[in-house]
Amino acid sequence: MRLFEAAHVFKHDWETVSLANWRKYPNSKTPHVRHVEILNQDVDPSTGVLRTERLIMVQQNVPALVRRVFGGDTSYVLEYSEVDPQQKTLVMQSQNLTFSNLLSVGERIEFRPDAQDAGHTVFTQSAQLKASGALFRLANKIEDLCWSRFSDNAQVGRLGLEQVLTTIMAERKAMTQAQ
Amino acid sequence: MESIDPKCTKLKHEFDACFTWWYSEKFLKGSKTNDCEQAFRKYQECVKQALKDKGLSKMINDARPSIGSRFDTE
Repeated sequence: MRLFEAAHVFKHDWETVSLANWRKYPNSKTPHVRHVEILNQDVDPSTGVLRTERLIMVQQNVPALVRRVFGGDTSYVLEYSEVDPQQKTLVMQSQNLTFSNLLSVGERIEFRPDAQDAGHTVFTQSAQLKASGALFRLANKIEDLCWSRFSDNAQVGRLGLEQVLTTIMAERKAMTQAQ
Repeated sequence: MESIDPKCTKLKHEFDACFTWWYSEKFLKGSKTNDCEQAFRKYQECVKQALKDKGLSKMINDARPSIGSRFDTE
């Protein structure tokens, strides 16, 4: 099993970062994310929490071994998230749907206001990658390759979010100038 | 961004536009109304059919417990 952890501070308030999360795709940094569909969504009437289920389709070049073992380069991921507008938390959990009998990738992401600076948002990400024993001596190599790719994708994902944040700020500036 | 089924793309764009407006102008400001209900239902119906056609429904339902999803396949 491989573990992945990352943390980052976005220099924008939580409301803006959570909005950027919903506007993230498409962006030029993450061309591998081909489709994002909202399958289910509602607001819990008693807690006011927004609950969303999304299906994400990813397609990207993968090492020859991965392509051989998995039989393809396209994967689907299911994501469930909860946004609490009062507590200012956005928590997302996701799991791969495809190749799940060979490799399990589970990820958790949280966005919360920075306790040191309310104008900033703390992002934390953790993931667990576990190859099936059915892969025998290939299990470790597959985990390594997939962890490496996961790490690359996580980095461009953050860049993508920064790009969307820049867009949002530009839009706001244009709006205030127009008034 | 195209939908997984091109038939649903227009409905997806209409819902996405409504949702991003609603999220920042209503939801984050404390409103409990669901202004995008209609747009969502149309889009959701289209996508659900696409999922059935692609054979993804069972995989989706099987993955729900691991991510804490409270949603269920109808």
